[in-house]
Amino acid sequence: MSSPISLDVRISKRFAARHHQFSLDVQFSAPAGVTVLFGPSGSGKTTILECIAGLLTPDSGRIALNENSKQSVLFDSQSRVNLPANTRNLGYVFQTLALFPHLTVEENVGYGLSRLPSHERTGQVDAILESFHIPHLSRQRPDRISGGERQRVALARSLVTRPRALLLDEPLSALDYETKSKIIADLRAMTRVHRIPVIYVTHALDEVFALGERVITLEKGSIVKQGSPSEVLATEREQLIRELQGANI
Amino acid sequence: MNWQAVALTAKLASLVSLILLVLGLPLAYWIAYSRWRWKFLVEAVVALPLVLPPTVLGFYVLVAIGAQSPIGRWYQHWTGHSFAFSFQGLLIASVLYSLPFAVQPFAVAFAQVDRNLLAASSVLGSSRTQTFFRIIMPLSLTGILAGVILSFAHTVGEFGVVLMVGGNIPGVTQTISIDIYDRVQDLDYAAANQTALLLLAFSFIVLSVVYAANRQLWRGWLSK
Repeated sequence: MSSPISLDVRISKRFAARHHQFSLDVQFSAPAGVTVLFGPSGSGKTTILECIAGLLTPDSGRIALNENSKQSVLFDSQSRVNLPANTRNLGYVFQTLALFPHLTVEENVGYGLSRLPSHERTGQVDAILESFHIPHLSRQRPDRISGGERQRVALARSLVTRPRALLLDEPLSALDYETKSKIIADLRAMTRVHRIPVIYVTHALDEVFALGERVITLEKGSIVKQGSPSEVLATEREQLIRELQGANI
Repeated sequence: MNWQAVALTAKLASLVSLILLVLGLPLAYWIAYSRWRWKFLVEAVVALPLVLPPTVLGFYVLVAIGAQSPIGRWYQHWTGHSFAFSFQGLLIASVLYSLPFAVQPFAVAFAQVDRNLLAASSVLGSSRTQTFFRIIMPLSLTGILAGVILSFAHTVGEFGVVLMVGGNIPGVTQTISIDIYDRVQDLDYAAANQTALLLLAFSFIVLSVVYAANRQLWRGWLSK
């Protein structure tokens, strides 16, 4: 299977409200594997994901997927390209997960496969539920399952369509430490199999070190640093270790 | 009991509800999701029948479809009948009169659907139309049900508009509320009471169903 090598992002977006102004100006390239966008609330992490997904339109810039020698432009303000979100073929896990409450787990996961014949769709849904260890939940509705299980359903739903890149918006923020660790292990296994760019948004330092191959730190809509987590967040890492030692974990 | 008036009223209310379901859903969708800065003007027009005296609405509909109007002349030319004081004319007036009773519950229900669900549907490859039918409609069932029932009930109870646009032609435009008025004019209070009791019971049942729907009893039952 040929996979996109990188997701190139160069975007500017301005928001102006009566008492508040925000401007986002970022440029980065995310190769296959996990790239973490790290920063405090309001630094523009989710806005970047929404622009990549096509849910928000940047004021200017370019977003493109480079697959081997082929380039697929998702957005380009100069050539006026702006693919609608439903044709970009990207996976997106929302902070709230956004599972459809009226559909069962298998209907949620199969939602993006509606163009496939029923037997093919069922086969793919069963396979991905199996790989996320949740085949027994297929007939449950989202309100009947635990937070960690909902998380797995959301991940399975976003991956079953074989997206060209995966966008994860603080997907583990509401989970306890143990569940989080298990899902991080699943995510690491998943990124080994699906070699696609994964953009992972978080403001939790432990997630950065557990998952990130690369990290981009953001502040007030601009990139502050980028590189490996140990380089970029050396000071923060030492602080985290001190905190963990203090907590006797 | 004037069963002819009961049947005519049921036919009128059913058609009004059906037409408002077809026209009201896209209009409510637009009201719920449009970011047009002048949208409030459309919302005000839709809500007008809530505050306008029925005679005012009826008068303008009568002027618009009367024999002297372009629409009235066109209708007369093609059908050989007058548009005013016909069942079709009454139907148009009733649709306008009950418009907010359908559109407002629809729009409120649509606006309550979590925007992240719509975004998720879109990212998963669904067009806006597919998202409407697969996500918005099923999650707005109680609001849609309330809108359909309220527009039906409101049409059953209308009086001023019917009198202005339809007159009082038995079998054509004579609805039960006009029949009650007729009976009272004839001092036949027993017959008027019979029909009035029927309307009272019907209205109570309808409102109970709407409140039950708002408490999402239906959603619980439907999901079983």
